[in-house]
Amino acid sequence: MKRLNQLPTFRIQYGKELSVNFGQKRCRGLEGDTIASALYANDVRIFGRSLKYHRPRGLYSLDGECSNTMMAVDGIPNVRAENTPAVDGMNIKAQNVFGKTPDFDMMRFMDELSWAMPAGFYYQTLHKPSRIWPLAIKHIRKAAGLGILSPDFHMRGKFDESYISTDVCVIGGGPAGMCAALSAADQGLRVVLLENRPWLGGYFEYRPREYQKGVPLYQRARELAESVGHTPNIRTFKNTAMIGSYHNNLITAFQRGNKSDIFTERYLEIRAGSVVVATGCIERPLLFENNERPGVMQIGCAHRLARNWGLLPGKRAAFSVGHDLGLEAAIDLADLGLDIACVADIRQDSYDSNLAAELEKRNIPFLPGWVAIRAHGSKTVNAVTLSSINATRRRKLSCDTVVASAGMTPVTGPVILPGGKLTYDNHTGFFLPATIPPQMHVAGRLLGLDDPFAIETSGLLAGLKAAADCGKPVENNLKEMAKNQATLPGPTRGTKLVTGPVKGKETFICFDEDCTLKNINQAMHRGFDVPELIKRFTSAGTGPGQGGIPGHNLPMYVAETGESPDRNPKPTTVRPPLVPVYLATYAGSNHDMSKRTPMHDSQVKAGGKMERIGVWNRARRFSSDTSARKEIENVRNNVGLLDGSTLGKFRIFGSDALKALQRVYVSDMSKVAEGKVKYSAMCNEDGCLMDDGIVVKIDENDYYMTASTGRAGQTIEWIRYHTRYDGWNFHMVNLTDAYGVINMAGPNARKVLEKVTDADVSNEAFPFAGYREFLIQNMPVRAMRLGFVGELSYELHVLSSYMQSIWDLLEITGKEFGIQKFGLEAQNILRMEKGHVIIGSESEQRTTIHDLGLGFLWYRNKPEAKTVGAFALKDTEHQKGRLKLVGFKMKESGTRVPKDGSPLVDSRIRGYVCTARYSWALKEPIGMALVDDDLCGEGTTLNIYEDGCKGKLLSAKVVSMPFYDPDGKQMRC
Amino acid sequence: MRLKSNSNINGRLWGWDPPLKSSYDAVIIGGGLHGLATAYFLARHHGMSRVAVIEKRYIGFGGSGRNTAIVRANQRTQENLPLYKEALEMWPVLTRELDFNLMFYNCGNLNLAHSEAALKAMRLQVASAQIYGIQSQLVDPEQCKTLIPALDISDRPRYPIYGGMYHPPGGIVRHDAVVWGLAKGAARKGIHIHQGTEVTGIGVKNQKIVSVETDKGKINTSRVLNAAGGYSAALSYQMLGIRLPISVLTIQAMVTQPLKPLLNHVVSSGAYHCYANQTLKGEIATGAHMDPWPNYTNQSTARYIKHQAEAVTEFLPCLKGVKFMRIWGGLADMTPDMAPIIYGNDPIKGYYIDCGWGYFGFKSCLVTGKYMAKFMADGTCPNILKPFTLRRFEQHRLMGETAAVVNYSPDN
Repeated sequence: MKRLNQLPTFRIQYGKELSVNFGQKRCRGLEGDTIASALYANDVRIFGRSLKYHRPRGLYSLDGECSNTMMAVDGIPNVRAENTPAVDGMNIKAQNVFGKTPDFDMMRFMDELSWAMPAGFYYQTLHKPSRIWPLAIKHIRKAAGLGILSPDFHMRGKFDESYISTDVCVIGGGPAGMCAALSAADQGLRVVLLENRPWLGGYFEYRPREYQKGVPLYQRARELAESVGHTPNIRTFKNTAMIGSYHNNLITAFQRGNKSDIFTERYLEIRAGSVVVATGCIERPLLFENNERPGVMQIGCAHRLARNWGLLPGKRAAFSVGHDLGLEAAIDLADLGLDIACVADIRQDSYDSNLAAELEKRNIPFLPGWVAIRAHGSKTVNAVTLSSINATRRRKLSCDTVVASAGMTPVTGPVILPGGKLTYDNHTGFFLPATIPPQMHVAGRLLGLDDPFAIETSGLLAGLKAAADCGKPVENNLKEMAKNQATLPGPTRGTKLVTGPVKGKETFICFDEDCTLKNINQAMHRGFDVPELIKRFTSAGTGPGQGGIPGHNLPMYVAETGESPDRNPKPTTVRPPLVPVYLATYAGSNHDMSKRTPMHDSQVKAGGKMERIGVWNRARRFSSDTSARKEIENVRNNVGLLDGSTLGKFRIFGSDALKALQRVYVSDMSKVAEGKVKYSAMCNEDGCLMDDGIVVKIDENDYYMTASTGRAGQTIEWIRYHTRYDGWNFHMVNLTDAYGVINMAGPNARKVLEKVTDADVSNEAFPFAGYREFLIQNMPVRAMRLGFVGELSYELHVLSSYMQSIWDLLEITGKEFGIQKFGLEAQNILRMEKGHVIIGSESEQRTTIHDLGLGFLWYRNKPEAKTVGAFALKDTEHQKGRLKLVGFKMKESGTRVPKDGSPLVDSRIRGYVCTARYSWALKEPIGMALVDDDLCGEGTTLNIYEDGCKGKLLSAKVVSMPFYDPDGKQMRC
Repeated sequence: MRLKSNSNINGRLWGWDPPLKSSYDAVIIGGGLHGLATAYFLARHHGMSRVAVIEKRYIGFGGSGRNTAIVRANQRTQENLPLYKEALEMWPVLTRELDFNLMFYNCGNLNLAHSEAALKAMRLQVASAQIYGIQSQLVDPEQCKTLIPALDISDRPRYPIYGGMYHPPGGIVRHDAVVWGLAKGAARKGIHIHQGTEVTGIGVKNQKIVSVETDKGKINTSRVLNAAGGYSAALSYQMLGIRLPISVLTIQAMVTQPLKPLLNHVVSSGAYHCYANQTLKGEIATGAHMDPWPNYTNQSTARYIKHQAEAVTEFLPCLKGVKFMRIWGGLADMTPDMAPIIYGNDPIKGYYIDCGWGYFGFKSCLVTGKYMAKFMADGTCPNILKPFTLRRFEQHRLMGETAAVVNYSPDN
């Protein structure tokens, strides 16, 4: 179709052509076209088929309020053709179409069957007889859903995120929003202005109506936009949809990138001192039979098609409207060459008589008190039936376009989400904010204003209020501005009519869910008498349009029919995101914030198989042998090195430090001797093991302690929580990242250490459980003799910056003694041979230290310490019916190792295998299990039920632990 | 204007609002799934139809209408397994009984393991389920991919997939349908459902329940069930001084725009704190972890929806091309061991508790309603419910439904 001659409001550029592929059809467009405008220019009228009934759907709002124009673009489903720029070479497909083009859909017969599918159809049918339901599911699934996503789809593009702090955030770049931004900026504040469209100007931007003498509204919009652009302290985000608003003025939004942007889309989080909501209004759909037939569109859609994109919506149009914007559009479109069949207006009076006179001047029939009741035409509109509102008279007119709109609906989402409340306002017919969250203000058309000066002034006023929130002395300006506002026209009276005299069978209140007025009535007759329940029962308003189409009409209609117990219209809930957002955009750059030990790179280089353990990356093994046999045997026979830097490490000091330790550790911490390490455990109030570790006394009132890897983050919080009422004088420092840890273990460990330090590390000078500080080539080391893996071992705590040097030195020095790295898997088996537990592996949430055989750690004679868990430890000390930790071996030699996690059974489940491995030291399988206490006697048979064993059990017997070196000679030597 | 109703639509599902009588044989506080199910079974199995369900908002307003409707029976402990097994078997039965399609979509559940430790935990769950005759099996990454072709089983993700636990009898149910179906069934049997009615007090005399006060009037009764979900602990303490070890936290869930079939099973991942399933409408529903602070609002947060997008696109990368459409929040009443509190007649005779369900309230509603009704009718606790006693907490006998320490409450 031919475009209009150049207009000052155009967003397209003549001469810059592009083309897109719509199915088989090549469509020519211009730079500046959206997908929707490019297709429309090529006479595409049917953009897709509806969800349930496969009805043809086309342009309606041009702002993405419904799924009508959701299309598949380059493999991405549900792209909104109305606000996606056309790009040369794009491949576009219509959705929910069974057939080659949306003009011919093999499923269109569904529309004829709609009578058979009342509201709640699925709930009341398809379950009798029960065998049809599984078959029905298959068909329901196939029929449901819009858009196809391939399982191997790969989203291209760069998705960025940005976190902005500002004084004032203005939502909406129409005249009110721009004025608010300017007036706040004028006070020297930083302002962020968000606008969903690619340009500023809102309802002013495309209208030629006079703003003041010689200045049309569109020119005024451009002037304001220019001022905004020239104000350095206003940061404008166009193409940016506001999606969420939360307490304390946290606003989320996302921006679609332009060609010149480095991002495809960008997620924004804005924290503002004050927020101005100037989101304006969308149009409230007029409901009549076939009110969503392609050719039926809202005022803004028809008007902007012509004014922004040079496309007349059709050849001959009938208008059925309820707002002066409709009359204005009819006049302008007539002047641009559209044949206007008539303008019906819901209002009997209260329209702008000047506009009516202008219509008359152009010989356009004006019908106040009339309304469209049916659109005709099977694919697109070819006629419309109008009726007087009292249903006494009717008239059918041929036309290819019906411009229909019942009135306006304010966009109040940003106010409601953080807790604002709406009430129904009888004058405007709007749900208006009755309570607004603190530091938030509203302005512009959403208040029901229509007069351009009133809209701008309300913006200026809101900007000043925001400035006041930010501490600016603007009392006088505020007073003056409020006075100004009072002289200007207030909110205009709004229409309340939802629908003319129609049957409602093909009158669609929600396009996305194919929900008709008849369906709403059916729901009400079934007892769903409040909008929120009707919404759930009929799905109306739960589609991709985020309730943009039925949001206002549904509560008004329900109140009007009188079925509802409450005659006052009640708005339905609005939820974020207010505009649908790609998961790619929300995910943004998706940074991985894992932690690496100081040894990370060299471990990777050495062939370490790294794994994420909580926040850490750790080496599980150093070969592809999953049993880690070589690493294990080397620790038992020579000496091994383990990177234990992930251990939690803390300093706790101050005059009351000991009291804090006594509170959280179950042992008597006053017995921590100088030069010795003390191993102990922390329990929760139920006596269950929370953590274990060692404590060293560094100095008077100064301790160094370790926590297990998983608890490093929580330990300080834990101690602080349990001492919060005591007012004790102590301090804690988390040294986890400041120190690295090397565990050098094996019979040759001392030989290696002797070679690198001058300190006396003989068994006499530095015995088992000892603590020493010395230098390794001038690098200070905190060394402990511990026995987690059961061999002579030194745990060396060294400053992170020295880690690599000391590690390398040990490796080079230890070469002659057979030193090798070992990883977590080897450690797991080595410690198991010693019967040492790993929290979470051999303990559950409900496992006490008694259950684990660690009850000896508990010192019961310190009641004054109020040790966490002490009462429970006393209660559970001899409690029957608990799961206890035992060691086991297989009953018959040659039996394979049972799988971890397998339950132990007799007539019921009696426990389970925690860890079981083949012990290279013992040359047989060993394991640890949590079992009912009556089964923990040595020699008791345990029957192991593995998954998929079909009743073929493995037999094991309880044995004493440790399995390896029960006397501990190896670690003490 | 009023339109004529269609002929095949006959009457209100749960009748016209009944008058509030001055006395009932039992009063159930909370018109959610547990309350409605108990009411239904009181009438159906025990002939007690002089029962009132008191709901402050509308039925299904709370967790009943906010959960993501996943059902399964592969629990961890033997106390839970038989209960959830029976629960799962009840969906088709109740669909028939209520003559209301609950839309049980038996698609099966796949839980992903991202570590050896997770595989071990799953092995315990799988074997335990098998012992109880519940279908459940471990699968390797390739089998996971066959079940859900959209999964990324490569080494690329932060937590690569090590395998999974596949539980074919599970699936999803339309939660609203269960609310309405039970309300329909209960109302047809004479139960009174009072919506928009708030309980303001509970009368006790000689350690026995005697009445329930509401904003619409006083009701004499000797039995009260506290099935108030997120509000149950507050109600118990404020009206009877009985403290329950419950923390209330917001849990959020969200859906994408509807798509043609993409996920044929429920898929979830503990490491990513995330599950995803495709509803019969085609929306992908996802959610999982709780907000880390207690609160009584249903408000969603900016952090949560972003985290969910980050998580789910790690193991289902194709979902980057779909849009989130809606997020909502609901209250989860969490106990220290993530198992419910089902208790009664102690210390007040006639006072029954069914709460603390946290994550699990939806899948368990029918079976709990059945046995709770028996409990209230007989006055003695059925064996299957005994493990869920309130007394377990003072005896430090937590249930083992979760292996790891629960770390959500401020007491931790």
